Amino acid sequence: MANLAWLKPARNKRGATTLIAAALAAPLALAAADARAQQPPIKIGVIVPTSGTFTANGEDALAGMRMYFDEIGNEIAGRKIQLIVEDDQGKPDVGLTKARKLVESDKVQMLAGFVSSAVTLAVSEYARDKKIPMIINADGGANELTIPGPLFNPTLVRFSQNGRTPSAAAAAFIYKQGWRKVATITSDFAGGFDTIGGFAQAFCKLGGTITQEQYPPLTTNDYGPYITNLDRSAEAVVTFLPGAGGLRFVKQFVELGLKDKYPMMDIFGQAVYEPNLPQLGDAALGIYSTLHYTPMIKTPENERFVKAYVERNKRLPSDNGPDGWAGAKGIAEAAKAVGGKVEDTEKFIAAMKGVKFASAKGDLSVDKYGQVIQAMYVRRTEKAGNDYVNVPIASYENVDQFWPFSLEEFESYKYRYAELKGSTTNCAKVLEKK
Amino acid sequence: MIWVIHTLNGVSFGMLLFLLAAGLSLIYGLMKILNLTHGSYYLIGAYAGSTIVAKTGSFALAAVAAPLLVAGLGAIMERFFLRRFHLDELPQTLLTFGFLFIFADLCLWIWGGDPVLLPKPVPLASSISIGGSSYPLYRLFLIAIGLVIAAALWGLQEHTRIGAMLRAGVDDAEIARAMGIDVSLLFTLVFSLGAFLAALGGVLGGPIIGASPGADFEVMLLAFVVVIVGGLGSLRGALVGGLLIGLLDNFGKVFFPEFALFTIFVPMAIILSFRPTGLFGRA
Repeated sequence: MANLAWLKPARNKRGATTLIAAALAAPLALAAADARAQQPPIKIGVIVPTSGTFTANGEDALAGMRMYFDEIGNEIAGRKIQLIVEDDQGKPDVGLTKARKLVESDKVQMLAGFVSSAVTLAVSEYARDKKIPMIINADGGANELTIPGPLFNPTLVRFSQNGRTPSAAAAAFIYKQGWRKVATITSDFAGGFDTIGGFAQAFCKLGGTITQEQYPPLTTNDYGPYITNLDRSAEAVVTFLPGAGGLRFVKQFVELGLKDKYPMMDIFGQAVYEPNLPQLGDAALGIYSTLHYTPMIKTPENERFVKAYVERNKRLPSDNGPDGWAGAKGIAEAAKAVGGKVEDTEKFIAAMKGVKFASAKGDLSVDKYGQVIQAMYVRRTEKAGNDYVNVPIASYENVDQFWPFSLEEFESYKYRYAELKGSTTNCAKVLEKK
Repeated sequence: MIWVIHTLNGVSFGMLLFLLAAGLSLIYGLMKILNLTHGSYYLIGAYAGSTIVAKTGSFALAAVAAPLLVAGLGAIMERFFLRRFHLDELPQTLLTFGFLFIFADLCLWIWGGDPVLLPKPVPLASSISIGGSSYPLYRLFLIAIGLVIAAALWGLQEHTRIGAMLRAGVDDAEIARAMGIDVSLLFTLVFSLGAFLAALGGVLGGPIIGASPGADFEVMLLAFVVVIVGGLGSLRGALVGGLLIGLLDNFGKVFFPEFALFTIFVPMAIILSFRPTGLFGRA
């Protein structure tokens, strides 16, 4: 895309619109009894899908954000908090248009939300050019945004997971179980290669082997051929099948009689995603999955969060709920640290990279590249009363984005994850150095 | 033994494809309408079926009631919309394209975005052992029911008065009308029958493919491939095409997994280059 930055209006014009905006905001501020509230509000533009396939993910993140801001009375350092929510419909072009609208006509001071990786990548480029703080506190997991490189965005902080850490946790758990040979089944798309590449790298490093890799297209209706074709010498099956695929796969895995014979690790918990569990029923029992959250975590923070969340939204939170909450708290803590002056982007972002707090997900801190450091949970689907739930059975604490590697080691490998498709059975290539 | 399993996989999926394609083929054969709403009938059938199963617990009721509902929907579409553009292919196709989006949004609104799989009827939920590997009974049932429906449709077409009228209409609608056949009623009937079959495919395919946003497009694409391979307007073509595509898809994915996206389209292209009207199509 051509860079049209030189076309933007002259500085004085922008100053004039700010004045008008302030004038328009003034009557609102007067209504507040607190004299300090006369300061202009902190405007947060929230970009999430509120229509289309990923509606629930977007609504969960938004609900988590609203919960936190309500807890603190929707005010930070004497400034009211105003959320302006826009629907990206899960489409990058729509997301980018909405980001422009939020920044250029609503004059928001920061952008938050982001479920789709494609939307996240599109908006990040824009936000980086405009030096608008960007807070990812929903699914948007593109690894590259917080890793030094061409897509790195210094004004971005992510309070949710990146793409590779649930894979690395899955590799660590499988190895610890004593399973050394696994077969993988991954949806054939960019996110799938990132996920399984991350798994292969971590698993090879530990000394395990992938004996077979299969890539059914995202639109696969019938997983019969893939399941029948499964390498019978494998000790476990590792899957990453988002959307309806995970659901179809598990059902057919059971029917073809293989689920009892092979432990299944569902990276990111796509098949055993909570809304799927009632439909899967007993078919889901015993499936392992990795993620940075499950509503079943037994800590006071999480129990309080889940209770409040269920009261408010009448359903259990997915990982997006606490992600949304954590992002909101990150914004508030950083804004407090800079005395409410969020317009000073550099100081505000620096303050956000220094936050540390407890959350429903566990203890959180942020690394210098803007990715949250948090726990990763291994869950197993079990039956509790009449409900099916993902119970945490193991956890890895303080998982940073390069875990279990250092940045130096991570960068020393020759191949990017997407380039490993078709070669993950060859550990020598997976671990080849530059 | 594993090849028996692969073959059964392919045949059962092929039977499902036949159900999905038969209605599309019937409608095109008689009315020359390329019905892009066909996948939506599947989707509505599957969703409505899941609701009926959830409310009543009866899979059999779902397999009758959901297709009837969708048949009614088809009749309304034909009577009040498509009829206005009789034999005018472009407006008809565009109209069905518009309905596709309307139905997709309606489904999202009513049933939400979470994928739904229908539970199997209890007597068919178990697996049997074939040469040491277990195989789901339901897939064998699909093969049986596919054959039954193929036989019923063939009987209807060849041995009943309606079938004779249908064949006359396919050969020459104008002359059939002149001979006193109520072609307009026939059109509505056939259109609803096509919708009925697609929705039945939705309920029967519900435990395997399920319903989710976008499944309407996927199913429509599959049905079109089957119909194009088998020959537009031919029931026999839909059956043979369905089985052929089901088997080719299955073995293609086993032998050439890296071409999984094309296992359906490459055979289609090859068949079309030798027989442009499909296996049983008429020029």
